[in-house]
Amino acid sequence: MIEYLVFAAAFGLLLLGLHRKVIARIQMRPGPPVWQEILHALKFSFKSTWIPKTASSTLYVGVVLVGIGIWSAALFVVLAGESILILFAIYMLHKVVEHGFGLSSGSPYGKFGGVRSVISAASEIPLFVTIAAIYLFTGSLLLRDIVAYQGVHGPLLLIVPPVAIAMYLVILSKMPYGPFSIVESKELVSGYKTEHFGVWRAGISVIDGTKTFVLLYAFVAIFIGAVPFWAALIIMTLILVSLSFVCAVTPMLSPFDSVTIQGLVTGLMLVYVGYLWWVMP
Amino acid sequence: MKKTTVTSGLAASVIAIAAAWGLLAIGLIPLIAAEAVTVIAFPVLVLFLGLWWRAPGGEEDIPFIGY
Repeated sequence: MIEYLVFAAAFGLLLLGLHRKVIARIQMRPGPPVWQEILHALKFSFKSTWIPKTASSTLYVGVVLVGIGIWSAALFVVLAGESILILFAIYMLHKVVEHGFGLSSGSPYGKFGGVRSVISAASEIPLFVTIAAIYLFTGSLLLRDIVAYQGVHGPLLLIVPPVAIAMYLVILSKMPYGPFSIVESKELVSGYKTEHFGVWRAGISVIDGTKTFVLLYAFVAIFIGAVPFWAALIIMTLILVSLSFVCAVTPMLSPFDSVTIQGLVTGLMLVYVGYLWWVMP
Repeated sequence: MKKTTVTSGLAASVIAIAAAWGLLAIGLIPLIAAEAVTVIAFPVLVLFLGLWWRAPGGEEDIPFIGY
């Protein structure tokens, strides 16, 4: 089991390294090597580490443990084919974790990152609509049932492409350097991560790696269905490269514009799901 | 944190994960119990491993809190 966690964290970090590389190449820069994020995680884990005087020690450390724990649980939920409701509950718990990171250190940069994390909760609303649309077709929220449905009827990506786009947008909201990455934008230094350094930052790297792996793997399982594991890894990489293209050519939106666009997408999705509900027998 | 405390925490997390894996392998606990132990012990393992091999030094400081 721990081998799955180590693999997911390492592969997720590799994907995040590839993300930086692709963005850099599109912007005519050489960019870092693709394994840079793995090196970062190792580097941070070797650094001197302490807790800032202004921090709430328990929250400051505890939130790192909780962050790694919830994404470890999410990985097991996806691998076991359990309910996507649990997965998306964990996704929302991550919002609490981001908020905790920001508020625990006593730094205004971290605090602003935490506050923006609350604002960007708008990105979770398309997620609920995604769940509703999937249930309309499959009649179940168990991942193994959704995969089985696609085995008979074909990929949900082709059956309900707008729903896949909504979840794609949700994953895009979680990608660094993207149009919706307002929680860690540069005017806030590193946003909610600013005051977590050394070993604590290495913990954040593990969270980011595992989260990236889980979200992309869940996307493949929910919208493409049962594929061999190696094929899932290739598809995940292709999806990530497409996300990197979007991030590379799109400026970061202001917090209010980010929320407005996510709200508009939610509205469109609600109309679409309402239409599906109306026409489906 | 003292080195002995960190070593104890690291050892406890390794033992918990190894025990969960071993008990699962011989069928004494169900998969979900082994996963629950791993979900709790893995974050502890990550942080305590880092605290165990991190560079020494450093003091509490006050982060930059604005102009």
